[in-house]
Amino acid sequence: MDENEAYEYVKSTLKKEKITPYHSDELEIVKSIGSCINCGLCINHCPVVASVGLDRFSGPRSIAVELSRSPPEFWATADKIYLCTGCGTCRDVCPKNVNIPEIVNVVRANIFEHRPDLVPKGLMLLKEIVEEHKRAFEPWEDPEEKKESRDMRLERLDLPLIPDIVKKGADVLFYPGCQAEELAQEVREAAKVILDYFDVDFTLLEEFSCCSLPSHLMGDAKNARNLAKQMKKKVKDLGVKKVITTCAGCTSNLADMSERDEWGVPAYHLLEYLAEEIGFERIADALKDSGGESQVHVSVHDPCHLIRHTSRQVMDHALNILRSMPGVRVSESIAHDSCCGGGGMVSYHSTDVANAVTKENMQALQKTGAERVVTPCPLCTAQLESNLFKSGSSIEVDDLTVFIAQRLPKKE
Amino acid sequence: MDIEADLVVIGAGMAGLVAGTIAAEAGLNTVLLRKGQSATAYSSGAIDVIGYVPEASEAFASPEEGLFILSRLYPLHPYSIIGYDDRIETEKIVDTIIERARETVSWLKTHLDGTLAPLDGEFDSNIHPITILGTTKPTCLIQKTMNSGNLTDREDSVLLFVGISGYADFNPSAAAQTYLEDRMSTGSSPRKVAHCVVQVMPFGKSYNLSSIELARHLDHEGSIESIAEQLKEHIEQVGATHVAFPPILGIQNALRNKTKLEEMTGTTVFELLGFPPSIPGQRLQKSLETIFVKSGGKLLLGHEATSYQREGDVLKSIIATTPRRQIKIDAKAFLLATGKYIGGGISGDENGLKETVFGLMPVTGDYHSATDIVPSRSTSTLSISPMGQPIQSCGLSVDPEFRPVTEVGTEWVVNLFAAGAVLAGYNYSIEKSGLGVAATSGYNAAKNIVALIKEVP
Repeated sequence: MDENEAYEYVKSTLKKEKITPYHSDELEIVKSIGSCINCGLCINHCPVVASVGLDRFSGPRSIAVELSRSPPEFWATADKIYLCTGCGTCRDVCPKNVNIPEIVNVVRANIFEHRPDLVPKGLMLLKEIVEEHKRAFEPWEDPEEKKESRDMRLERLDLPLIPDIVKKGADVLFYPGCQAEELAQEVREAAKVILDYFDVDFTLLEEFSCCSLPSHLMGDAKNARNLAKQMKKKVKDLGVKKVITTCAGCTSNLADMSERDEWGVPAYHLLEYLAEEIGFERIADALKDSGGESQVHVSVHDPCHLIRHTSRQVMDHALNILRSMPGVRVSESIAHDSCCGGGGMVSYHSTDVANAVTKENMQALQKTGAERVVTPCPLCTAQLESNLFKSGSSIEVDDLTVFIAQRLPKKE
Repeated sequence: MDIEADLVVIGAGMAGLVAGTIAAEAGLNTVLLRKGQSATAYSSGAIDVIGYVPEASEAFASPEEGLFILSRLYPLHPYSIIGYDDRIETEKIVDTIIERARETVSWLKTHLDGTLAPLDGEFDSNIHPITILGTTKPTCLIQKTMNSGNLTDREDSVLLFVGISGYADFNPSAAAQTYLEDRMSTGSSPRKVAHCVVQVMPFGKSYNLSSIELARHLDHEGSIESIAEQLKEHIEQVGATHVAFPPILGIQNALRNKTKLEEMTGTTVFELLGFPPSIPGQRLQKSLETIFVKSGGKLLLGHEATSYQREGDVLKSIIATTPRRQIKIDAKAFLLATGKYIGGGISGDENGLKETVFGLMPVTGDYHSATDIVPSRSTSTLSISPMGQPIQSCGLSVDPEFRPVTEVGTEWVVNLFAAGAVLAGYNYSIEKSGLGVAATSGYNAAKNIVALIKEVP
């Protein structure tokens, strides 16, 4: 047997031995685990550990030193690995840059491939939906009802309807993400209002499809890579120069894919686009008459996918914009950058853990005395809103995109 | 995404945060990058200034005495270079060194007052707090929660070490034994030491407990009362006057918990110094970050300095990288406070050491280039020796203004400064000088930076 034959033979046995070779783009992540010095600093900062204790979730260090090292099929990790919300706090405090949030996805991908019986049922249901509809939610049965829901939201928020535009060669592709496409339609509409107000040459996708983050996070590598491929083709076909989204998760995922798959087209959050391309002066000018007599006291929630997976700078942009709004007072919550609990697909199968993480945010928000919390992510919005509502709090939640759009003057 | 600033500080440990706060308070537009937490966050949360000189077995009675001797024996020590400056007259060298360290200590005490890590201690005497091993170490400042009051002054004091059932990081009986042996050998009080175990149940369990779970649990209302109740019997049994806890008394409410326990038990309650990463270390890190932000500084967490742009003898900008973004930051001055091996400012492999951001030349404790020195030659086969591990003394060599110098002894650029563990010439683990050097060098580097920027129009 020569070397090539031996290689082919070993390769053919991998499936039987339940070993999946790492993708080349995963190697950096896997290597970073080798830098872990086992210090346990991350445990002290993990929001899931803080909320449910080490017995339920063994914490980021255990992911790095134990769970990530139990191949071939990682079956022993399944009761812990799905409880990580992927917030990235561990990587943020780690002096050695160990990429724990990403190794979680690598481990989940192995379980998904070899031991699908161990994948939480809630995630498998979601996988079916994504596979069938190319999005993370079942689409509306009746498109008319979807429109009605959209119009009701617009009316309630007093936002104009900007017609959808789909065209080739636009400057910018606006990508709303699944949540804003199907459920929080007001976010999608509000973004269009903002883009239209500042005369941005934008287009939407002709046929919406998921950015692949939910599949990536549940470990469904096949669908994740498929969706990523489709997205690249769509972006390239449209010939846009930039992709803008209003979802924090989509921002980091699209930016990741753009680099990994060499799109040559960068992806930004709308806030980054506003700060960089429109500029605070123009924004402040547009907002200068927005306040009227009314005062509103808000607190801000920083989405993990923006501050820890993209850059803290993005939330500085958000604060700059809020400060330029007359009549808006901002109070910082001590948990402003603490995970909302909605990440990592945890809420799909372990609602108790997700909601325990949210609790930290709620208590801190109550202390600010703010009447409203704004956040530039429709998923954080939904997670905070449902928990605040259930707890009987009077604090309202707005997606920041909507909050901005509402304060822009109506265009002639 | 580009930013402009007066000063960019790279590294958010003691040195970077002290320097950043001073610069921001002086009106400089200051941006601080933190790629991860620092050795400060790992520390016991006590601030050592100087405990020993190498090979000494007796600890200094005070930082003042230590610095007096150190500055004469080791003129290149990071403490000493403050004084060995052409602008300072020879007879004032030692006074200057001591004065600057004293200023730094009082600055820390004032600034950390009212934070999660308020401090006790004076520059004029070293304190000897007890560790969770039952040993003691010389240090200058301790957090108020670690203050054991009149434990060693009283003739009749009785110390009770309190362990927590299911918390494996602290063994009260071993600590009590070690401490008692130490007391007996010196014949000093307390002469009676006891230990006990209480039950604390975060998340309803009393096994596999970590310090963070305990500290967070004790932050909650009502949790401290249950401990006090359990303690009463043990205190009565041995007649304890002082009660030592592992450092888990809380994050937000640690000091309040100490006071509450004292009121409820009629004893003096205090935290021992713990292993890294300790809760008091976390409180100290958080407090330093808080005062920096309060002073108007901009803290960019999760940003790593990955490259730079230099023109002639001036550093123009650095590139900060996050998992998915790059930001260019232009500034008039830069401070390198990236730490040593834990912080990642200096790294080594089988060929030698390197400085990780600018590729500057690290030197050994004897000020020879460490670029090509095999690290194993700077380590001792004895893991614990009075000389320590020489590799801990490697780092950057700086001029009296704290600017890193090149092989020929001149500064690399005019506007790059360095402070903290990235500096060469001191060995914190044997000197017990880690956070003190970090704070003092950060304090002085910042003063030089402020002067530099204010003089440039």
